[in-house]
Amino acid sequence: MLQPAESTGAQLVLDVLADEGVETVFGYPGGANMPLYDALYSHPIEHVLVRHEAAAAFAAGGYARAGGRVGVCFATSGPGATNLVTGLLDAQMDSVPLVAITGQVRTTLMGTDGFQEADVTSIMGPVTKRSVCVRDVRDLERIVRAAFRVARGPRPGPVLVDIPNDILKARCPKMDPFAPRPVPTSVEHPGIEALDETIELLRNAKRPVAIVGGGARSANAVYLYRELVAMLELPHTATINGLGCATPGDPHFLGMLGMHGWKAANLAVNSADVILALGMRFDDRVTGKPDKFARNAKIVHADVDASEFGKIVPVAVALRGDLRQTLERLVRRLGREQIPKFSGWAAEAKALGGPLPADRTPHGALSATDVLDAFFSVAPDDTIVATDVGQHQMWAAQRQRAIHPRNFLTSAGLGSMGFGLPAAIGAQFAHPDRTVVAICGDGGFQMSIAELATVRRHQLPVKILLIDNQRLGMVRQWQELFYEGRYSHTDLSDNPDFVMVASGYGIKAERVEDAGELRDALGRFLNSREPALLHCACFPAENVWPLIPPGATVEDAMESAPRTEAIVA
Amino acid sequence: MTLSLVMHDWRLLERIVGLTNRLGCAYTRVDVHAGDTHYHATIDFTGPPDALRRLDAQLSRLLNDDKEMSR
Repeated sequence: MLQPAESTGAQLVLDVLADEGVETVFGYPGGANMPLYDALYSHPIEHVLVRHEAAAAFAAGGYARAGGRVGVCFATSGPGATNLVTGLLDAQMDSVPLVAITGQVRTTLMGTDGFQEADVTSIMGPVTKRSVCVRDVRDLERIVRAAFRVARGPRPGPVLVDIPNDILKARCPKMDPFAPRPVPTSVEHPGIEALDETIELLRNAKRPVAIVGGGARSANAVYLYRELVAMLELPHTATINGLGCATPGDPHFLGMLGMHGWKAANLAVNSADVILALGMRFDDRVTGKPDKFARNAKIVHADVDASEFGKIVPVAVALRGDLRQTLERLVRRLGREQIPKFSGWAAEAKALGGPLPADRTPHGALSATDVLDAFFSVAPDDTIVATDVGQHQMWAAQRQRAIHPRNFLTSAGLGSMGFGLPAAIGAQFAHPDRTVVAICGDGGFQMSIAELATVRRHQLPVKILLIDNQRLGMVRQWQELFYEGRYSHTDLSDNPDFVMVASGYGIKAERVEDAGELRDALGRFLNSREPALLHCACFPAENVWPLIPPGATVEDAMESAPRTEAIVA
Repeated sequence: MTLSLVMHDWRLLERIVGLTNRLGCAYTRVDVHAGDTHYHATIDFTGPPDALRRLDAQLSRLLNDDKEMSR
């Protein structure tokens, strides 16, 4: 029997989570973390039972990306914990704040190859910011609180806390809500010299371009970014994680940058003399061949993480610090300086590219890009979209109209198939009243298809827009273009009947295969306040254009397949 | 490249070894001494200059997180 001032390790964990502002966790119980689930039974924290631990990590990631809060997931020891690996690395790659709490076998069993024992902290080391096992209940509160501090920043990311079963059961003093706690370590700001150099570069620039990345979302710097580019009338572009940073309808926004980016964005960056790179990390999907990337430009790189400076491309000026504070200082300084505006160059940059190249689809066949064009034209402005990974992801990224980067959620750095549906579930918990749509391909959807049960249980109004081309489309496209049409194991033409599958889970579903039916079907889909699936049976051989081949430059961009006939394979 | 590192969690060595290998570098000497609350490591690294620069930067990030976790 616990004394009034006593707690168990498990209760303490939940009390600390609640004190850190956690309202919802995503998880799956098992043997080792049963004390945690026993404590949850009578705790106000909401627990969402997913159907696979991988979905717990993705859902927590979706919750964090959409809600701007730390996402939390639970798993048990051994296989439960190892199933979190992909979701944690996904959060690491996209700088998403996450705390994962795993049960571990009791301390006396650790190292004995006990049932469901795994060396979780070692496995998780490279996929997290920190991965720690609690060996003494007296350290528990300190470690869990530190996990939240580290997850939040300065550069957000995932932290794992592994807690043996006996530590979860151990008695300890109750959490003292008034105990003094360490404050987060302050982040440094860029010095005056670096700001001076930036301003001097801009003063002398003829063709500057700004590139914004996910760092603007993490630092809550979106509105300052908009102020900066508007103040200078700068042409600007975004990495996939920076989509939504631009003011909607901004005529100087050039669209997404990179491998499947808009032509104007890639050509403008290629001919720029100054690049303002803000909270982005020069991923190879953006730079292609780094020594040819923006080769005439001096690069000003603003980032909170000093290890990003010069990692891929040489940097003329490094602005280290929290991006919001960096932009505040920069905007303030620019307001006092006589910097010419760049509207003439911005118009030129916009004119460098035309509309997105369309691929050919046979008459009567449903085109995936037509589906997405129609969807984005009728979806409410504040819709949150979570994509899966593959062709539909790129098509959606090219066409999205997000009014904020927390409205376009995608597994950018890791490219984890199976992300879309659980991320949408997480986003819906973060924003219960918003329209949340998972845009999935048929491959990725089937990696998380069991999460339809999670949607159903909570009657989440999540919408699933399924772009089914009966192929692993992106791999198929590369096989067509770079592997002489040898379509090795990318055929999914024996897919299940997705309408029946959804119906089996109690979710309303409809199939569309004719372009003429699309608008009405989208209307029914979006207007429903219930979960819904719209199964779009699309032409199998539609490709994503433009495409800058891997390791190539913007001059090598392809806008159609070299062959003239569309290939169905 | 020789780095003197302060670790609060000695298991961080595992991460350092992994990161060194991932970046195509190696180490030729590792000395670790335990203090009261932390560990001092002196490590000689070899590898291409660019990779060593990246390693140095990423180790700083790792050690900052380690320091924060120990508070």
